[in-house]
Amino acid sequence: MVHATAAPQAAHEHTNVMDRRLHRRGLLAGTTAAAMLAALRGTGLSASAAAQDAGEPTRGGKAVIALIQEPGQMNPFFNVQSGSFLSTLALDPLFVPDADGNYLPVLAAEVPTLENGGISEDFLTITYKLRDGITWSDGEPFTADDVVFSFEIYKNPESTTALGTAYELIESVTAIDPLTVEVKMSDINPAYLTLWDSEGPVQPKHLFESSAVTQEHPLARLPVGTGPFVFTDWKTGDEITLTRNEKYRDPERPYLDGVTIKITPEKETAIASFIAGEFDTIYFITTGDLPTLSAAQEAGDGIVVALQEGPSHVEWLWLNMSDNGDPGKPHPVLGDPAIREAMDHGIDRQTVIDEVLGGFGYQVGSFIYAGWAAVDIPAATYDPALANSLLDEAGWVMGDDGVRVKDGVRASLRYQTIAGDQTRELYQQVVQQNMKDIGIELVIENVPSNTIFGSWEEGGIFMRGDYDILMSRAGYFVDPASWAKDFTSDQIPSDEFPGGFNRVRYQSEAFDEAVNAAAQTLDQAVRGEAYTTAAQQFAADRPSLPLYSSAWGWTWNERLQGVDTAFWEGMWPSSAGWYVNEG
Amino acid sequence: MGHYLVRRTLQAVPLLIAISAIIFVMLQMTPGGPLATGEGGGRSARVTAEDLQRLRNKYGLDDPLYVQYFHWGSDLLRGDWGTSFNTGLPVLTMIGERLPTTLLVMGLSFLTTLVLAIPIGILAAVRRYSIFDYLTTTVSFLGIAIPSFWFALMLMFIFSFTLGWLPSVGLSDPRVEHSGMAAVIDRAQHLIMPVAVLALTSTASLTRYVRAAMLDVIGQDYVRTAQAKGLAERTVILVHALKNGAIPIVTVLALELPDLFIGAVIVESVFAISGMGRLFIESANLRDYPVLMGVLVITAILVVTFNLIADLLYATLDPRIRFQ
Repeated sequence: MVHATAAPQAAHEHTNVMDRRLHRRGLLAGTTAAAMLAALRGTGLSASAAAQDAGEPTRGGKAVIALIQEPGQMNPFFNVQSGSFLSTLALDPLFVPDADGNYLPVLAAEVPTLENGGISEDFLTITYKLRDGITWSDGEPFTADDVVFSFEIYKNPESTTALGTAYELIESVTAIDPLTVEVKMSDINPAYLTLWDSEGPVQPKHLFESSAVTQEHPLARLPVGTGPFVFTDWKTGDEITLTRNEKYRDPERPYLDGVTIKITPEKETAIASFIAGEFDTIYFITTGDLPTLSAAQEAGDGIVVALQEGPSHVEWLWLNMSDNGDPGKPHPVLGDPAIREAMDHGIDRQTVIDEVLGGFGYQVGSFIYAGWAAVDIPAATYDPALANSLLDEAGWVMGDDGVRVKDGVRASLRYQTIAGDQTRELYQQVVQQNMKDIGIELVIENVPSNTIFGSWEEGGIFMRGDYDILMSRAGYFVDPASWAKDFTSDQIPSDEFPGGFNRVRYQSEAFDEAVNAAAQTLDQAVRGEAYTTAAQQFAADRPSLPLYSSAWGWTWNERLQGVDTAFWEGMWPSSAGWYVNEG
Repeated sequence: MGHYLVRRTLQAVPLLIAISAIIFVMLQMTPGGPLATGEGGGRSARVTAEDLQRLRNKYGLDDPLYVQYFHWGSDLLRGDWGTSFNTGLPVLTMIGERLPTTLLVMGLSFLTTLVLAIPIGILAAVRRYSIFDYLTTTVSFLGIAIPSFWFALMLMFIFSFTLGWLPSVGLSDPRVEHSGMAAVIDRAQHLIMPVAVLALTSTASLTRYVRAAMLDVIGQDYVRTAQAKGLAERTVILVHALKNGAIPIVTVLALELPDLFIGAVIVESVFAISGMGRLFIESANLRDYPVLMGVLVITAILVVTFNLIADLLYATLDPRIRFQ
């Protein structure tokens, strides 16, 4: 669901869509990453987290969140702009993934499994049990009818919903009793726990007059939910206010009287104002902001920076396995496994992370690097001598100009990414030099985003296979199913199949078999094993090389207490427990 | 004068129609469109080609340009300013939320400009070539030369981030109650820097105009006559000279207002103030045509109105000008 197959550039490069889906603490903290984290943090997270827990929560006070990008609608059911994620303050999901990618029930009473009968033998029927005693913020009971109605909105052709591909597999949604919903799928749907999550929360049936709901509807703009806070007002461009939900399921919570979302479009200003104490937190910060924020934390400016553990956005070097997009012919240079293996050992990843990213990155070696299915494969060691000997053995002879040649083919490759990103251009030069050291020439030819990520019809070079090495960030949200599927050989784009997403044109029977085996079941144990096989095959074949994963994190003012980042989406699902210490 | 007012107002109508038509065409000529941003940006991945076509039909984006303009214009005459592509809210509601803020910031800046520029300009003219005059000249040129976004950032850096005296962004602190004296003080604290930035450039240039206009007048015979009659210098300058000197100043002031509006775009962006300027930038980025048209038409109306007011002021100041 993270990277839908329809609009490549949107899914893979736009932080708009990516940002929050990849906010989470992964599980694969390799030794290097863990050591680095400890060094980075110093007295950081663990110490301040302990300080956070000192003192009893008190009622009252407000938190102020600076929002960089104001969305058009706050209801994510109708809008995928990143800012609408903050609706999670007012709307509860059925399930929420914890830091390791394991789902916990929120509005649901339990997570459906094969053991508890929530998943049928053929995996096609999922039964969701809802938690008893939940009411909407207006006091009406939350029931199975609301879930059924939410699906009717999605089905109504007049509605403009913004729900993910996971919903396309739903055949029917039926209310068995007020607290039981039965969902029949047309095919095995590994994303069944993301249905009605924070991106498509259940809508209150009693407040809608029909199931034809467009984004102009007032409830699309300011939704009503069951969460800790209630939307009360939205002054466009200025602020969005939420007040305490007096009907919240936990009468003790939330501790705060309200939350104000202050729209502050200039991020640099927002961060400076945050450090100066005008805001309690920011939605959202990226890797590039971490050095500034960490420095402020070190300087004792009263802010907390919590880094997630393990990788999030991975920067990939996509290696074209085909000759100009023709899957029948291997790439004259990259088609040789020795070249790919030598490249993998020739890249000095730690230098990229330390010198260019200021230490805010991790080495990654695994194709399935995070979530419940994470496979622990360390990044290839930096060993130029090994790389050189691999190439020598494979018959790539060093030429007079320092570029290796084999059978008249020079090891010279185009190396492209989106033009205009200065950080990328810096580490592109590091990689270029690394490759020069082992006799592979990289020619940097950066181009606009559309040129790379255009569709098949638009002639995008990634889709068409008209490249040697492309570099971009990509990843997945919790479950690797759709991510893995995009590297199977039946997904290679062509005139007949312009929507295919296997743009590196990777062809491996063993990999295909493993990924397809995983898709045949919802048994986590079987799936986990299959994805381990797939990831190992991928690491052996190297159709793409992970360069690094950016560090990700959250930051808040010490004034704000009770913040918990033990969720995939970081600090945000913990808002009911936030309180302020005015003392 | 009433007759003149009616005639000038009627003349403004074809002018506004022409302005709106030109803006409409120019907006459509800019690359990209409301749905193009959708394809690559926010609403992205899940939008299919059929969805896009449905939206195009809904908003009439496939109609010929003149048909679209006619629809827009006839809706406007019926009081319907259209609906934002992005928020789904009526354009007039969105403008109604933002206009008061911009008018507040602009109005305070305008007042500040008047209160500072006129006395300083007069004094500089009267004490020509004095140290005060040189000082004003230097400061004025600096004020004209300093880019306002830079000045805004410097103020913010010094007064908010270094000294911590003033809040940096927005027009109110959500933690302060929105009522009573506390709210007024809070609002005033938030307004100081934006108003200072906006007033700087206009004060600087207006001071130069006032000085020049007064110098023109002071050298004339009738002023010397007044001085020869033995009138107090204060009376000569403020009553006799200023009244004539004010005529060109009024013209400059009327022209200053659109400049203030442009300045508001920058100031509102830097200080995260939710006014017309920011609305303009945001809807331009999103190609939200209905909102853009609304903002531009309101701006055009403001400019035309202030020009009219300037013309009326002329006649009051100078009886030689007749309403014809």
